[in-house]
Amino acid sequence: MEGIISNQIRALRFHNGEMSQAELGQRIGVTRQTIAAIEAGKYSPTLEAAFRIAHVFRVPLDQVFQWHEKGTP
Amino acid sequence: MPYREKTAWLSLIAMVITYGPYFAIVSSGFYTREPMPGMHQLALFAAISIARLILLGIGYMLLAGTTAKEDRTPPDERDLAIKRNSMTTAYYVLIAGMIYVGCFLPFTTRGWTIVNAALFMIIAAEVVRESVAAVSYRRQA
Repeated sequence: MEGIISNQIRALRFHNGEMSQAELGQRIGVTRQTIAAIEAGKYSPTLEAAFRIAHVFRVPLDQVFQWHEKGTP
Repeated sequence: MPYREKTAWLSLIAMVITYGPYFAIVSSGFYTREPMPGMHQLALFAAISIARLILLGIGYMLLAGTTAKEDRTPPDERDLAIKRNSMTTAYYVLIAGMIYVGCFLPFTTRGWTIVNAALFMIIAAEVVRESVAAVSYRRQA
């Protein structure tokens, strides 16, 4: 079963005082380029990094990342 | 361009511009009349390897001078994932090359041809590793 992972990191950064990619990266222990790649959907983070991102924004994991089956809206 | 992508391109370019001419020279038949053990070929390979190390040293110094210190961070999970992926691909190239060199070439040729074929397969695997890393960084940029 193929799927697509989307994320709300850009919106969450905006709602958290326009947090920069570099700051988010620093807080979860990855580079700014990795945050940019995750945000653009070009890299899927490890489960631990995903939980860390959710922890930084103080929201559940499914508010940061969503999984959709390919072909469904 | 991130620091790690620059280092991947640097390694790739250094390898191509040093070992490229070496394999061009040995495949042209320049050393074919030299009797075994053919120390001139070995000396050429050693010189080329040293030239590559010098080139890499200069390249890393230039990169260190032009890249901000905060950008030269230890590898994160994406860097490690790219490394794993490139190493896996290079491993298959190396295994295929070594099967060819070890299981087929001894029946058709000998001496420096086998040595150079083995060296070529090792360098090819390294080129594949650096290429996969550089392309992965580019695609995720």
